[in-house]
Amino acid sequence: MHITFDPGSLIAGNQHRNRLSNINHHLRCNMEQEVAIVDAVQTRHGSALKENIQEIMFNTVRELLDRVGIEKSEIGTMVSSSSDYWQGISCSNSYYYDAAGANLKSGSKAADDSGLGFNYGVMRVLSGHYKTVLVVSVTKCSEAPSVDTLTHMAADPFFQRPVGLNETVAAALQACEYSSRYGLKEEDLAGVPIKNLGNAQNNPNAHRRENLSLDDVLASPMMASPLREIDVPSTSDGACAILLATGEVAKDLTESPVFVRGLGWNVGNTFLGDRDLLNGPLPKAAQMAYRMAGVNDPLNEIDVAEICDTTSFNEILWTEQLGFCAPGKGIDFLKDGTTSMGGALPVNPSGGLFGANPYVARGLIRIAEIALQLKGEAGKRQVPHMKTGLAHSVHGLGGQLHSVVVLGS
Amino acid sequence: MSGESRILEGYVSLPYRWAMGETTTRFFDELKNKKIMGTKCNKCNRVLIPARSFCSHCFDRIDEWVEVGQEGVLRTWCAVNFSYEGQPKEPPYIIAIVDLDGADVGLPHFVGNVSLDDFEDAAKKVRIGGRVKAVWKEMREGNILDIDYFEPVG
Amino acid sequence: MAQAVAIIGTGQTECGKRYDVSYPELIYEAVTRAFDDCGLVPDDIEAVVSGSMPPAMEGVANPHLYWADAMGASGKPMIRTATCGSTGMSLAHTCFYHVASGLFDLVLVVGAEKMYEGDPQGTMATVADPFFQRPFLAGAPGIFSLQSNEWAHRYGLEEKRVRMAAAQLSVRNHTDAMLNPYAHIKVKTTVEEVLASRVVAYPVRILDVCPGSDGACALIMASERMVKKLGVKRPAWVRGVGYCGEEAFFGEGDKVAWPSAINAAKGAYKQAAISNPRKELDVAEVYNPFTFQEMLFYECFGFCDFGEACQLVEEGVVMKGGDLPCDPSGGTLCTNPIGATGLQRVAEVALQVTEKAGERQIPGAKTGLAHAMGGLDQFNGVMIISDSLQ
Repeated sequence: MHITFDPGSLIAGNQHRNRLSNINHHLRCNMEQEVAIVDAVQTRHGSALKENIQEIMFNTVRELLDRVGIEKSEIGTMVSSSSDYWQGISCSNSYYYDAAGANLKSGSKAADDSGLGFNYGVMRVLSGHYKTVLVVSVTKCSEAPSVDTLTHMAADPFFQRPVGLNETVAAALQACEYSSRYGLKEEDLAGVPIKNLGNAQNNPNAHRRENLSLDDVLASPMMASPLREIDVPSTSDGACAILLATGEVAKDLTESPVFVRGLGWNVGNTFLGDRDLLNGPLPKAAQMAYRMAGVNDPLNEIDVAEICDTTSFNEILWTEQLGFCAPGKGIDFLKDGTTSMGGALPVNPSGGLFGANPYVARGLIRIAEIALQLKGEAGKRQVPHMKTGLAHSVHGLGGQLHSVVVLGS
Repeated sequence: MSGESRILEGYVSLPYRWAMGETTTRFFDELKNKKIMGTKCNKCNRVLIPARSFCSHCFDRIDEWVEVGQEGVLRTWCAVNFSYEGQPKEPPYIIAIVDLDGADVGLPHFVGNVSLDDFEDAAKKVRIGGRVKAVWKEMREGNILDIDYFEPVG
Repeated sequence: MAQAVAIIGTGQTECGKRYDVSYPELIYEAVTRAFDDCGLVPDDIEAVVSGSMPPAMEGVANPHLYWADAMGASGKPMIRTATCGSTGMSLAHTCFYHVASGLFDLVLVVGAEKMYEGDPQGTMATVADPFFQRPFLAGAPGIFSLQSNEWAHRYGLEEKRVRMAAAQLSVRNHTDAMLNPYAHIKVKTTVEEVLASRVVAYPVRILDVCPGSDGACALIMASERMVKKLGVKRPAWVRGVGYCGEEAFFGEGDKVAWPSAINAAKGAYKQAAISNPRKELDVAEVYNPFTFQEMLFYECFGFCDFGEACQLVEEGVVMKGGDLPCDPSGGTLCTNPIGATGLQRVAEVALQVTEKAGERQIPGAKTGLAHAMGGLDQFNGVMIISDSLQ
């Protein structure tokens, strides 16, 4: 039996007091002081790094402190993101807490998605309690069972797990529905891995780089129709650390602070059947971030985007849901070259998840990539004349929880 | 509402392959040779065991290897008398934190060769502040259980 | 500008063996009660925070995604915070920062656990790293017993005296739990029974240790401007928050003069402008899964000097009617749905300072301390809650 929750049934009508109509709150919230990224560091991601999680965390944070030129004693607090299941070590932040420089400091966690860790870090700065916040994430997918196994474990034990739902299968269901509504030809998805693995060649931190052809893509075996193996980025080992600060402190610590202009995040229903798979929580997450950042026309106001291309299909869907193009137009948008390097809105100059996919850390890495772009430090993958960038993160079946950050120089 | 609510039984059992890193690998190799190795941080002068590649207090890399003693003092102990899934031994057994000679951090491990028929009696032999000595396994595999247990001495 | 934050509604479930409900339904129960408590509806809530123990406990990864509908979170921003035993307090802090940041004025936070669906100690054993600590650090009882033994030894406390004080705490908690409608273990006990009960991790006995419970707790926090807008008559203000973590390796720190506990309290006291906790606190809900360890916390929080906690018990200071009654709810010792437990401490103090604690009310309570601890004795978090901001 399927359980539904009806929030409307919760309270008898006359217990209401000052009916707030808060439904559109996400279009009203604002940041009341400046928060900026001082600097960001990533690992050279790999399919299996030989260092253990503690060492990778230490190395990444140490490098960040050295780059910025501060001591760990000057860090106010630490927010981390990791996943017990991805680590095989429960209470995952226990293991690397002091390796992240947080011994005898306060710290907390936004589990399972480092894009959310970033948001929490921003909130800690905005609270006025901390002038600097270290946000970190490490995931060693090589040490854990596959993403298919672990995301299968994320399905509830009664209804979605027994039928074998996991993130790949859910994405396939999503792609199938899209295909039925808007059409999807065999070669439509190919542009994404071709573009992203091509872009990854410019990214020294990516570990998968290829010059794929359409034939290469079409030769890949079907994994979960209509998705082929090549459409689903495999996972990686990697870490990322970002130093957040108040605008004032950031300006002292770096010549190129990257300002957080807006952030937003949003979750959808648990059961796939409860949701519109093609219109999930991403638009709301994006609206919250855009509203805060004063972005009204994303296609023209965002100069570059790093989004979590959890499958080739999902990059296409997320570009629509982010408002870069109209629903159903994502494939044309890709084919037009708009999202290629040199196009009007390059998406994933880093290579995205196709280039490297350390699951929980990937959201923070997207943010780090945009920060590097805005600092003009993105080397061969630099998008010229950048002023505003967007970073996106997502996890959960069919993209249940999305996070969007708009950054500016 | 007073209908039935049944239980669904299942098992979540997942395999993992944790990378040790070079330092832990070497630490375990030395255990095979019946040596307990630590690394020393030159800033705070702590000798850390098991050997570490960095000091999280000073937040710097360390690579000076130091052998620590096979004997030490019991910082604390308790006799485990309950069961749980994945337990390494049948209870009852004793776990402790041992401050090995020459090390600045304690090592969690078993205390063995003490009868646990009567906890009060055992408490006379196993005392905080008492000295213990590492007892090695005959066949060592390069993991923390190459030390079989620590036994009270003196 | 940072916002002051108040707790304006709480909801708890009856805790224990809750096979009558699925995990989401259990959460729904706590959430609906929190809404009932303050007359709000899910549409009013602007963001949601949730958390629980490691997902291995209930065998569902990403529990926050599983609970989304039960919390009315769909369509809202949501974050999961999980820090083992200290989860409940970390949840309260995460919720606090959502509001203090000025981004959100009304935030729901939920902590829950269904320990009867899994293997608690087996799960907790997976917190220890697989290389060095996992075979030895035998779930919670092992770690806490190691710590308690070291504490007693350091201060030269005679075992008989410590065990007697611990037994008195056990009796106090069990007695008080009888008056808590949400408590799990409702069993009258005596000092003799505690002393004679089965050894769990020598020298600690079964009546010195907490159960594992199913249960959920939900709170709603509001900003100062929202408290005014809603006309909330009795907000429970968060006057101070403190949290501190230590090394991952158990043998590395001093677990007796315990820095994370000492610093967490100090940080919260500083924000709350409390200089004499013994005098200025009217009530404390200390995270107390273990009677022995509870005494250690008294010392780390400055309720007495180091080594003197037995005296606090013997003199009745920490009992009802004493100077600083602790855990009038019956505490963690009698009710422990771990992901919720720290949040229950916050809820209970909020109820105390707003005179809503029913039969467990400490008369005249205005300011209280809530606390939770987690990991292998690695994390401690504290919150000071008061009926006024001053």
